[in-house]
Amino acid sequence: MINDFHYLKPASLKEALAMYAQYDDCKVICGGQSLLIVMRQGMLAPEYLLDIKHVKELSYIKFDDKDGLRIGATTTHREIEKSDTIAKKYPVLVAMEGKLASIQTRNWGTIGGNIAHADPAGDPGPVLIALKAEIKFGNANGEKTVALDEFFVDYFETKMEHGDLVLEIHVPAPDAKFGCAYQKFNLLDSDMGIVAAAASVALNADGTCKEARIVLGNAGPTPLRVTKAEDLLKGKKLDDKLFAEAGQIASEEAQPVADIHASEEHRRHVLGVLTKRMLKKAFEQAQKAA
Amino acid sequence: MSHAKYSVINTHVHNIDGVAKVTGRATYTFDVKLPGMLYGKILRSPHPHAKIINIDTTRAMELSGVKIVVTGKDTLGIKQGIWRRYEELCDEQVLPLEKVRYIGEPVAAVAAVTEEIAEMALDLIDVEYEVLPAVYEPLEAIKKEAPTIHEGVERNVNVTRHIEWGDVDEAFEEADYIREDWFKCSGQAHMCMETRAAVSSFTPEGKLTCYASTQSAYYTQGLLAGVLGLREGDVRVLAPYVGGGFGGKFELDAAMFCSAVMSMKLFKPVKVVFTREEDFIASKRRTPMFYYVRTGIKKDGTFCARESRMFSNGGAYTGMGATALYLSGFFHSFPYKWRGYRYDGYRVYTNTLPSTSMRGFGAPQAMFCSEQQIDWICADLGLDPFEVRRKNGHTEGYEVPGQAFIASCGLEQCINEIEKWVKSKGKMPPNRGIGISSCGFMSGGIFNWFDSPYSFSSAVITINVDGTCELHVGCQDIGQGSNTTMAIIAAETLGVKVEDIRVHSGDTAHCPADLGAWGSRQTLMAGNAVKMACEDAKKQLLEFAYAEMGINIVYDLDIKDRWAHIVARPERGMPYGDLVKKALRAKDGQRIMGRGYYTPHRKGMISPAYSYMMQAVDAEVDPETGKIKIHEVMTAHDCGQPINQLGLVGQLEGAASMALGYAYLEDMPFEDGKLMNPNLVDYKVIKAPEMPEAGIIEIDTYEPEGPYGAKEAGEGLTNPTAAALGNAIYNAMGIQMKELPITPERVLKALREKKEAQK
Amino acid sequence: MEKQVLRFKVNGDEYEVYIHPKTLLAEVIRDHLGLTGTKRGCDTVSCGACTVNVNGFSVKSCSVLAVQCEGMEVTTVEGLEKNGKLSPMQRAFLDNGSYQCGFCTPGMLMSATAFVSEAKNPTKDEMKESIEGNTCRCTGYNSIVRAIEAVTQGKYKEE
Repeated sequence: MINDFHYLKPASLKEALAMYAQYDDCKVICGGQSLLIVMRQGMLAPEYLLDIKHVKELSYIKFDDKDGLRIGATTTHREIEKSDTIAKKYPVLVAMEGKLASIQTRNWGTIGGNIAHADPAGDPGPVLIALKAEIKFGNANGEKTVALDEFFVDYFETKMEHGDLVLEIHVPAPDAKFGCAYQKFNLLDSDMGIVAAAASVALNADGTCKEARIVLGNAGPTPLRVTKAEDLLKGKKLDDKLFAEAGQIASEEAQPVADIHASEEHRRHVLGVLTKRMLKKAFEQAQKAA
Repeated sequence: MSHAKYSVINTHVHNIDGVAKVTGRATYTFDVKLPGMLYGKILRSPHPHAKIINIDTTRAMELSGVKIVVTGKDTLGIKQGIWRRYEELCDEQVLPLEKVRYIGEPVAAVAAVTEEIAEMALDLIDVEYEVLPAVYEPLEAIKKEAPTIHEGVERNVNVTRHIEWGDVDEAFEEADYIREDWFKCSGQAHMCMETRAAVSSFTPEGKLTCYASTQSAYYTQGLLAGVLGLREGDVRVLAPYVGGGFGGKFELDAAMFCSAVMSMKLFKPVKVVFTREEDFIASKRRTPMFYYVRTGIKKDGTFCARESRMFSNGGAYTGMGATALYLSGFFHSFPYKWRGYRYDGYRVYTNTLPSTSMRGFGAPQAMFCSEQQIDWICADLGLDPFEVRRKNGHTEGYEVPGQAFIASCGLEQCINEIEKWVKSKGKMPPNRGIGISSCGFMSGGIFNWFDSPYSFSSAVITINVDGTCELHVGCQDIGQGSNTTMAIIAAETLGVKVEDIRVHSGDTAHCPADLGAWGSRQTLMAGNAVKMACEDAKKQLLEFAYAEMGINIVYDLDIKDRWAHIVARPERGMPYGDLVKKALRAKDGQRIMGRGYYTPHRKGMISPAYSYMMQAVDAEVDPETGKIKIHEVMTAHDCGQPINQLGLVGQLEGAASMALGYAYLEDMPFEDGKLMNPNLVDYKVIKAPEMPEAGIIEIDTYEPEGPYGAKEAGEGLTNPTAAALGNAIYNAMGIQMKELPITPERVLKALREKKEAQK
Repeated sequence: MEKQVLRFKVNGDEYEVYIHPKTLLAEVIRDHLGLTGTKRGCDTVSCGACTVNVNGFSVKSCSVLAVQCEGMEVTTVEGLEKNGKLSPMQRAFLDNGSYQCGFCTPGMLMSATAFVSEAKNPTKDEMKESIEGNTCRCTGYNSIVRAIEAVTQGKYKEE
């Protein structure tokens, strides 16, 4: 049962930050697609609920060739999914959003809310980290920007402290020869991944690997970057053997937790397979890129 | 024959409840709101097995807004069960007095002015338990040292069933090849979109009205009357619209019982609706089964003998488990002629959620074992799976010794059609295969375990002066479209249009008794009752027409498309509307009424008629992750004469979706008696993107026992799919899946073992 | 804590209700306004039986606080028909038998209706994805997809 709470509806970002700082036992609601379930189960019962759904200043999608992509925190998943700009420049984001829950959830739930919720099985985390995203968050006193993979600290826990709001996701402009792919392993298309893998590959002019990123979903308390595998690929001429090797490393480095849907062994095994496949896909995309 | 010219039967008819359903006007028990209504919630046992020492409701009663808290002590303590005829199988007090036997079992109920207050009150009920040792698996529960779940029931063996014909040992002697395998079939949740729900209202005259989400208003009426000490006639059950049943909603459930008990004490309406979680943990489920199958066959493919033993996980109470136990063993022989057949089924109590009937009634489990083993035998002996099935398949006129008489059988045509379809697909790419399974199913059951004194189905049709008709039936529409099917049969028989028929169902005060929607019985049984009632009414009209039209004695009259006419000279007649007006006047203003009823007599042990089918599943496996993708399902199906065209397609596609779920998606894992996935995030129900095309090839037969030659469609179609998927994976990957559901992890494990074995 | 007033439009009609902020949109629609066409089938925002349309977007009303809809326009299944004339999607559902028990149907109609209003030449897969958030236990979805397809092909026009 959802507890009785005081409802706060700020009209602007400034007002929201001020209100948030004012109340100790206060949680933020925007789309509420994750929060309301948790509150209904009685796991969270805040005295105050701060609703930032209508803080329009945080709802935007901006792209600049040099600066890259900036998405405001209260932008809905559906807006990202339907953005022509994002489809052109970061098709992996559109693809990821298209498989996130269902249309109804995407219509109301927001990217900021998803990131703040910090579920290691969430889809955006691994993809954005593979895209080298940064996150801007702040409170009444100021703002901070950190790399997204440093933002997640533990299961459902981020670097944010009380009074902080997610403000913006910044995805840098991609390299010239760049590809990024993401896939989750699940039984039903709309489910969160039992495990998932995102991979991005940037190529040098000579076709060797400039940089690779491998980020695993639901393979630990936070999205997991497999730096050991990333280092293996750096500078090399990429081929299937290397992808398989990287997959093997990913499978060993992962920290998946077993549950009724799959054992730990199966999760490790599938992570290895997904890593191998997504690396190959990202590589092929990078080769095709202008 | 469906070649026959019908005006309404097997034509494209809109479901008659369609407009109500697509406009939001349809009201379900879930929606019912009565003046002064209170909200009920149920406190459930956290222990799988425990004595109830004491229940203190003082704190809960003190909470403002709480009107009553009841426990078993506030009831008559009657042990009830749906197998009324057998007292030893009536083993369930819905609110137990002495002990709890599964996690989730009700122990108390609260009624309060709001749902929220009722829920808060649950935390204030203090129950003192003495925890007892518990047992969860049938093969453990049957051991001597296992804890006793029901006093006096040795080894926790709830029911046994034995089916045998021929000289089984001799038949095995004749066999050139014998194969034996063990299988493990899982449970499944009905997962109706509308959870269990009831609104009870008891008034000072001593009469109870109960709105219930039920598959049989009559069963609910009888069961409620029995446990509450009321006359059946003083209990009125209404099932307005029902949000799905699938075999889980014709027993007495805690929503019906607790709402009634509390209403009887308060003289106020009380509503109890299960949350989705409660629906998972506390409404009975499909029976998990362990099957041992031993089959003997000649090298030319002739079936000789089969001997099977089955242990089912009965859970804490009997429910409909006794029927599932028998039917599983019976359909495990289907659809083949066995020289010798022996089945021993054991239903064992455990401290888990009771198991009961669910669409297919034990046959999906039975087919998973039988149809896969047959394919493996064919592979072992180099035989053709189609040819072997054709060779041994049932035929019209066959008698399953001592069990069933097959009056219509389109099995061979079904096999031929699917064989053609599979061949047309050509060679499959790697990791992809097509698997087949044939089966048959009953059109309702013969055994009167409910001990009903009434005809199994009845119908009354009343013709108004303007030609519209009130059709009162007891059959229950739970979404399968029985209201529409009855309207179609009535319209065809009477010679009018479907829109002339208003169907009344789901109200024991106005409708005749009917056993309800289970065992795929309604089209045949209620359909026969409706046909008889309409023939009765038509006869009365035509008696008048003969006189009115003054025609020659040698001529016959009939009514078709609202035109009463001479059959040999159809242009000579009179409008049905005029005939009705005059007939009414001639009967002193009394409306023409026709009555019909049906109970199967001398039809063997199981059913008056059997459907047949063969299904093919085209599936692909990702060899690295084990993930399964279903490409297509095709079924050749003999239901005699299809009646409700849209309904039939709906039943086929719906059954396929549920059966595919059973085959590879849905599971109910328990740990120490606790269900681990009681929600729709972790319990995987198939969604639109996973649902493949499911085509149907209709096979024409005529079933003499069915109305217009019709027999069942809807339950039988869940039977073949798990087996067909298993066979598809066997054909694609060469692995044998002996456990349900077929998960990616199990697929990979089998692939690894196959690789090891090949070394 | 304190109740507050919510003013919004439902099916074209202005409503004013006095509710606790924790009240879900589904609860306001069903219990306060008595529009029981919208159903509820789960506790985990999974089944979609509660799907309605808010300012042009299909949402699961069980996961939306009613107060967030202040000043907005909500459409429920009851709002699809106009003066007794069924919408194109409703008529397509009737012709295709795209329902059985009918409990998921209001939510299905809302998702399907929202989809066809914005989709341009959708593929079959996109049609299936449009109802991915709606669970049906009876039909196996294909008849619903056939109805959606027929509407996108222009076989049903507004009357």
